[in-house]
Amino acid sequence: MEDQEILAKFRDPATRNVAFNQLVRKYQQKVYWHVRKMVVSHDDADDLTQDVFVKVWNHLENFRQDASLYTWLYRIATNECLSFLQSKRRRFFLPLNDVGAELTAKLEADDSLAGDEVELKLQKAILRLPDKQRLVFNLRYYDEMPYEQMAEVTGTSVGALKASYHHAVKKIEQYVNHQFPND
Amino acid sequence: MPTPFRLDEHPRRPHPPLAPPPDRYFEQLPMRVMQRVQADAPGETARGWLTALSAPVRTALASVVVLGGFAASVLLSPAPAPGTSAAAALAQVPREQMVQYLLASDQRVTLTDLAELPAAATALPTESYLHASDQEVQDLLDAQPTEDAYL
Repeated sequence: MEDQEILAKFRDPATRNVAFNQLVRKYQQKVYWHVRKMVVSHDDADDLTQDVFVKVWNHLENFRQDASLYTWLYRIATNECLSFLQSKRRRFFLPLNDVGAELTAKLEADDSLAGDEVELKLQKAILRLPDKQRLVFNLRYYDEMPYEQMAEVTGTSVGALKASYHHAVKKIEQYVNHQFPND
Repeated sequence: MPTPFRLDEHPRRPHPPLAPPPDRYFEQLPMRVMQRVQADAPGETARGWLTALSAPVRTALASVVVLGGFAASVLLSPAPAPGTSAAAALAQVPREQMVQYLLASDQRVTLTDLAELPAAATALPTESYLHASDQEVQDLLDAQPTEDAYL
């Protein structure tokens, strides 16, 4: 079902639930993985993904279609992730690096990376990036999102996003090379 | 000499190699989201404007509501009339309980002390009462019905 059709059906109270169900089915994996890359843990990603869709339900009627539905969903998911990480840091009085360390510990507990040392080192380097820069890196590197769309999601200029991504890549390469010089 | 790590030479993956979600997670997620949405629906309008306010504004609003409620309860409650509250409270005590209390206390009160002679007090002419003979007094007392004159 196309986004326009979903939106039209959502506005009709008789077909609202069906339309929303279709919307969740269409975008759930993208939203889940976008969130999961930021918070690493499945449980946190599950909670946040549900929160995102509940917010979508509450505000979809007022969605003005200035941006695509896909971009709008990404923006809500992004804000949820950043708020979650910020509140976690505030709640436990954690400095920036400690949240990165916590996420790294979760990553190391994940068996799926066992045996792939280079990938594990790369992931550790990514998790050391500040939240917003990590978000930019994920959108560009993993999702291969165009910079113009990233600008809509993050509310940042294309130039600033390009610079942020470039610096993120340099930091990651430096971290991997300096921390593990034998590779 | 080891080759330095370069990201663009590293095989790109669609997402980090994290453990996949549990089996059938994406089959069940839409249903779970719908359940949450339906559960949130009744209070949606009431909470909507509250959640739109910032935390300090919500705190200030809560304080105003509490203080306003307190002030309203003080202003609107009727002030008790001075002196009447004790008499009103005493009037609510059953007469039998009051008699039992007085007889049981150490005040040496007897049934005679508690006797009421309203009819006698108004009906007796003062001059004849003051100069009454023993027989007249006895006749007047005998004329009083016992159940009315004594408690």
